[in-house]
Amino acid sequence: MEDKEHKPYRPRAAGIKARKKKAKIETDDKEELTPKQRNPKAFAIQSIRKTEKTVRRTLDLNVKKQHIPLVDRTPIEPPPIVVAIVGPPKVGKTTLLKCLVKNYTRQNLSNVNGPITVVAGKKRRITFIECNNDINCMIDVGKIADLVLLMVDASFGFEMEQFEFLNICQVHGFPRIMGVLTHLDTFQENKQMRKTKKRLKNRFWTEIYQGAKLFYLSGMVYGEYQRMEIHNLCRFISVMKFRPLHWRTTHPYILADRMEDITGGELIRQNGKCDRKVCLYGYVRGTHMKNKQSIHIPGCGDFDINDIQATPDPCPTPDKIKKRSLNEKERMVYAPMAGVGGIVYDKDAVYIDVGGSHSYNLTEDSKPTNELVSNLMDMMNPVDEKMTTSKMSVFSGTQPMTADDTEDISYPLEERVEGSDGRIRRRAVFKDGDELNDDSGHEDGEDDDDDDDDDDEDEDEEDDSEDDVPPVKKSKVSKSNKEEEFAFADSDDDLEDELILKAMKLKKQNDDDDDDDDDDDDDDEDDESDNEDNSDSDTDKNTKKSKLKKSKDKIVNDEEDSSDISQSDDDDDDDDISQSDDDDDDDMNEEDNGDDIEEEEIGQGLRWKSDLVEKAAASFKARQKGKINYRKLIYGEELGVADEEDKDGDELGGLFKVLKQKSDQTKNDRFSINKTDCSKYFPENPQDWSLEEVTASIKDCFITGQWSKDKDAKARLDLDDELYGDFEDLETGEKFTGPDGEKDDDDDGEKDDDGEDDEMKKDDKGEEDKPETERKKTKAEMTANERRTIRKERQKEAFDEQYDLKDDSAYYDSWKSDLDKQAKLNKAEFESMPDELRIQYEGYRPGLYVRIELHDIPCEFVTNFDPTYPVIIGGLQNVEGNVGFVQARFKKHRWYKKILKTRNPVIISLGWRRFQSMPLYSVQDHNFRQRLLKYTPEHLHCHAAFYGPITPQGTGLLAVESVAGREPGFRIAATGVVLELDKSLQIVKKLKLTGFPVKIYKKTAFIKGMFSSALEVAKFEGASLRTVSGLRGQIKKALRTPEGAFRATFEDKILRSDIVFVRTWCPVEVPEFYNPVTTLLLPRDQKKSWVGMRTLAQLRREKGIRLEQKADSIYKPVIRKNKIYKPLVIPRGLKKQLPFKAVPESLLRKKESSMKRVAVIKDKKEKKITNMMSMMQTLYSHKQQQKKIALKQAGEKRKKEIKKDEKKRNQRQKELKKEIFKQIGRSEKKKD
Amino acid sequence: MSTNSLNYEGCNFLRQRLILATLSGRTVKIKKIRSKEDDPGLKDFEASFIRLLDTLTNGSKIVVSETGTNLLYQPGILIGGNFEHECNPQRSIGYFLEAIIALAPFTKKPIKAILRGVTNDQIDPTVDLIRLTTLPTLKKFLGTDEGVDIKINKRGAAPDGGGEVLFTCPCRQKLRPIQFIDPGKIKRIRGIAWAARVSPAVTNRMVDSARSILNKFLTDIYIYTDHVKGSQSGKSPGFGLTLVAETTNGAFLGAERSSSARGSGDQPSVPEDLGKETAKNLLEEIYRGGCVDSTNQSTTALFMALGQQDVSKILIGELTPYTIQFLRHVQDFFQLMFKVDPVPVTEEEEELNTGGEKLLLTCVGVGYSNVSKAIL
Repeated sequence: MEDKEHKPYRPRAAGIKARKKKAKIETDDKEELTPKQRNPKAFAIQSIRKTEKTVRRTLDLNVKKQHIPLVDRTPIEPPPIVVAIVGPPKVGKTTLLKCLVKNYTRQNLSNVNGPITVVAGKKRRITFIECNNDINCMIDVGKIADLVLLMVDASFGFEMEQFEFLNICQVHGFPRIMGVLTHLDTFQENKQMRKTKKRLKNRFWTEIYQGAKLFYLSGMVYGEYQRMEIHNLCRFISVMKFRPLHWRTTHPYILADRMEDITGGELIRQNGKCDRKVCLYGYVRGTHMKNKQSIHIPGCGDFDINDIQATPDPCPTPDKIKKRSLNEKERMVYAPMAGVGGIVYDKDAVYIDVGGSHSYNLTEDSKPTNELVSNLMDMMNPVDEKMTTSKMSVFSGTQPMTADDTEDISYPLEERVEGSDGRIRRRAVFKDGDELNDDSGHEDGEDDDDDDDDDDEDEDEEDDSEDDVPPVKKSKVSKSNKEEEFAFADSDDDLEDELILKAMKLKKQNDDDDDDDDDDDDDDEDDESDNEDNSDSDTDKNTKKSKLKKSKDKIVNDEEDSSDISQSDDDDDDDDISQSDDDDDDDMNEEDNGDDIEEEEIGQGLRWKSDLVEKAAASFKARQKGKINYRKLIYGEELGVADEEDKDGDELGGLFKVLKQKSDQTKNDRFSINKTDCSKYFPENPQDWSLEEVTASIKDCFITGQWSKDKDAKARLDLDDELYGDFEDLETGEKFTGPDGEKDDDDDGEKDDDGEDDEMKKDDKGEEDKPETERKKTKAEMTANERRTIRKERQKEAFDEQYDLKDDSAYYDSWKSDLDKQAKLNKAEFESMPDELRIQYEGYRPGLYVRIELHDIPCEFVTNFDPTYPVIIGGLQNVEGNVGFVQARFKKHRWYKKILKTRNPVIISLGWRRFQSMPLYSVQDHNFRQRLLKYTPEHLHCHAAFYGPITPQGTGLLAVESVAGREPGFRIAATGVVLELDKSLQIVKKLKLTGFPVKIYKKTAFIKGMFSSALEVAKFEGASLRTVSGLRGQIKKALRTPEGAFRATFEDKILRSDIVFVRTWCPVEVPEFYNPVTTLLLPRDQKKSWVGMRTLAQLRREKGIRLEQKADSIYKPVIRKNKIYKPLVIPRGLKKQLPFKAVPESLLRKKESSMKRVAVIKDKKEKKITNMMSMMQTLYSHKQQQKKIALKQAGEKRKKEIKKDEKKRNQRQKELKKEIFKQIGRSEKKKD
Repeated sequence: MSTNSLNYEGCNFLRQRLILATLSGRTVKIKKIRSKEDDPGLKDFEASFIRLLDTLTNGSKIVVSETGTNLLYQPGILIGGNFEHECNPQRSIGYFLEAIIALAPFTKKPIKAILRGVTNDQIDPTVDLIRLTTLPTLKKFLGTDEGVDIKINKRGAAPDGGGEVLFTCPCRQKLRPIQFIDPGKIKRIRGIAWAARVSPAVTNRMVDSARSILNKFLTDIYIYTDHVKGSQSGKSPGFGLTLVAETTNGAFLGAERSSSARGSGDQPSVPEDLGKETAKNLLEEIYRGGCVDSTNQSTTALFMALGQQDVSKILIGELTPYTIQFLRHVQDFFQLMFKVDPVPVTEEEEELNTGGEKLLLTCVGVGYSNVSKAIL
């Protein structure tokens, strides 16, 4: 809008300016000098100091730019980015989310609930999540969001929520934040809007960083934001890059986008408030999630994962990356909680996934989905009736179904449906009729195994698959049949075992003893498990049997087939069970279920058959080599008997058994439970090292032995020689060849292999011959010039490596390259492995879509489930499940109005958790003493110690005083960072003990009232004392009476009125109070009003109880008596001796005051006299003055006369002298 | 909070269980400790070990049932620091020291421990062996040489002990991942022949007999003789030999023998035989090969598991039963599985005689960080 008003810039075309410019351009063209060339003086070093400073500064800046290098742990196929839309209410969050989803998928969302995952590009998926205005929600979202769209109502400006959220983000690692200004169309004037934009932008920049992106959504069109603007926003989102945040790269987490209650209906019927079994679905993020890991669900509590399985990705990125943009089919949206496509949302399990707009276009495709839905609905009704709780599940044919069902029966179709909903639905999709039968059959079968499952449809489903037989078999075998079969298997079992035994015995002779030992331990474990769960072992035995058959006689019939199927199932089992405990039957069963389900998903289309040949081949090979499967050897115990991948493993299984029996007899087993615990290994049958062959077997372990080709110095030298050894003298044309390869080799052989057999030598030669010829060819092809250049390059490289000036970044670079190498290794190590195996080694890597089963979840989690509250499954590292004392650096937020009081409960957000605790605030003195503070300092850091979860040091934390309601003002009370964790803390507060002197000698005094017993005194002997007047002293020894009194010495005599005190430090206990905030468990309308422990003040306020004041603490005017001091008396004798200066002033003053002047009143006579006297005085003084003047004049006269006389005398004397000298001269003449 | 505890039976692998419990913070319950034996319950050395754990940690809860057959251990936070411990002479200091080494990198304060007891006996790895083979491994994970040391102040042979050892180790926030898949070739053999309260000639006799075997393979052999007397020689007579082969890539393979303890009922050891036996043991160890020897497999595996979430790899010889059980325990406590593959022999190396089958031990660290060390 504003752009239009600008006048375009038009440069001058004529006139002086134009000419000048032209001239300038011309000169520039002529001589293209750099500024340095043009003005070299300006770049010369003028001052060394200054140069040094600039150099240092640039170096500093360079170093500042460097981040500590981290190992790049981003997975190859990353999970969707979490984009959170945050802002106060009525700012346009939902609208924006709808617009964004529409932009990506061309679909309108009817309502926005829970996370919505969309495919945003060829390699990028995005999970959108809307954050409501609850501070709990904001905290949770701040912990998981990768990118935050912070919505601001421009017509209103920033609100507290936004700043609160920014602070939350800052504490929990600071994700990327992009501002979005809305309501810009409410501005009437353009200028006003521009000003506002600028103001908001500046404020935003100061909060985040200079230049942070702020997006403007100018206005609404038909209730939506403008399309182009949304499109641009999407582009910004798509190019966003993220820096790894420490907490998130070290902890796995899942943002659950689907929740299912799988508790048995019967249990719920019996007790509506029983603990539930819950399934949560979501993408693994952060790092690898492990089975049985302990997790925390913020707002709910701590749990252990009961089971976890990878399920097919419901929202995958397109398989093949082509150069075009995504087509309609690939634009998927996955939002189980949001009811995409206008379908009902139920409490525990439902969602509908409408693949894309194409599903609307193709009527054919849409039809079956409707049918399907209706079918399902019909089928479910009876089940529903059974169930006391009314639950309804709905599905639509999903995109993959519509797209692929025609040609690909097995994999995607089934997978999709299953991914989208519970398992029953999958069946329904396949064959409606079959499925129904199946179900009923299953329910029957179920009753035997598990009693809790029959009612719940989901459970049924699971159990179906549990019994580890694919539908084909199921339909054939009725319940009774099955049982029979098992019985048969049981009876057969012994026979089969015997067979195995025989095989084992044969093998045993060859095998090493220690291995056997290991094995048999495994085996006895197996036995135990056998006893425990019959059904499981039954199936296992089945498989064993089948395998034996297979290996011996290859009769193929239907039965065989089915058992093969089960075998393949079991193969999978091995992989998964190893992670599971074998606590009880139920667990085992369920795990099996899970595995089977997975199995089916993966290999429905008779895929196992294709593997069979390979498997057989592999097993054969393994047997041939007589190699041990170490995985089985080590973890076999947990895999149970079910574990048979190949014949070899089978044998080992049998082997365990045999040896177990043996070891039971001998009690010589290292694994027996009460054996000596020792890490040293004593080989049980050491080799005979006196034999020649035995010693020869380790010959090459020493440097004196033979080296492998690539390491042998001699071989490498030869290689070099061949390449560079021979040359041609160009001038003379003479050719020098290096030592001939073959000949030399022979020599080498003789030298090296002195002790070796001739055969070996020959082998060597034969091997080396081949590459020899190749090398020669290449050498021949090269001209001398080429060879020379190669040599030169090599030399240069070598030189560079040693001598090139490595700048300061060398260290940094090498560090970085090391980590890069590690990252590559991390990626490459397990890449080629099948997924099930890989998961066992690594855990569930980020990017996988998993189903997590949790047990013992409070029923409120299900009954009060609200999809607008994010359910986060935060993985905890090992020690983090424990509680201890946490010490944190802590600072009250500047914007928070109050100060925080020690021991007042605050709600702390730390790690994944939100909990209430009672921190003690303290400061560290210079001698590392933690001194208790009553309140947090106003603008200083202090330490906070509280009882809470052990969380690694350096984790940020946040405190709020209340999460309930909306109090006015800024809610973030304080922020901090964890410093130390321990199980006990030393925080002390100052305690002054006071006492009073009983008796005072010169410097010694007896003090009482400080302690209550002699023992106490004994403890404080030698402690330093002080009196109020400032005298220092020491506690000496306890007195007998009164009790608790003691002798003390002081630096001077103390007064009776002095109070004596000793300063002590007394430890303070940190209250062990840890109360997780359970917002997810609250009913919907109370979600925002979680109140934990309240402070005393709050309680009083609520109950209207006034604090009882002690009479002592009431303020009263202080009345003080004036003290009257005695006058200072100095003895007379002393006073006399005192020098005047030392006499106190007060004394001197006293003297003066005693001789007061008296007014004299004269009578008449006296007046006359005085008058007369004064007159006479005046006269007298006048006379005196006259005299004085006269005297002066006389004196001057006299001086003049004297002068005159002197002059005369001088003249006379002169003449006289003249005369005399004349006479003298004459007389001398005469003499001469 | 999470109340799931791990349950075990019997006193075997007690150390492993307690160490892993301490590191993972999980509670352990052990039942049926020698419940069916004549002398039921925990033995003195186990009690001594539990006491050691108590001094190493803060806030641990240890409950032993009255009969001593049940043990509950709820770990606290590792403290470390300076401490002294009287190790029960039923087992040598190595038994205790191995546990301390496993915990040492993760304490609050650097460890400086004085351990008193039996320095050398026949069951456990002796202090010499730990110093010569375990410490180099530990240093690899710590990434430093500084402050990692074992000093043998006094030797004390079994059964009465009287030895004293000073162990120091710095603590770390994190360990570094290790990739050590090429042990190289053995370039030298070193060793210590020690004797206490016996004739000094014994040491030389052992050295000579050991050399007689080893000289066929390598010439660079030097075996120090350490004959201690007076107050440094402990309470019982004894002698022994520890040999360590060092490779070009810094792997150390060790073997050792000690004389049979006085009053143990075994036949008295002859120095020549003992020397030869030790040399053969070393050859056995070399035959098994790998980058760490059989004694240190479990320690190495532990440190690999406790690394960052990076891949660690190490080449080892055949797994010992102790290690196998250890790997199982690691899975129990840390949900971590090791990948153990036999190393495929390449064509080039096929004709080399490098002993028995080698295994490649691979794992992804659990991302363990030291929660007890304070930051400023």
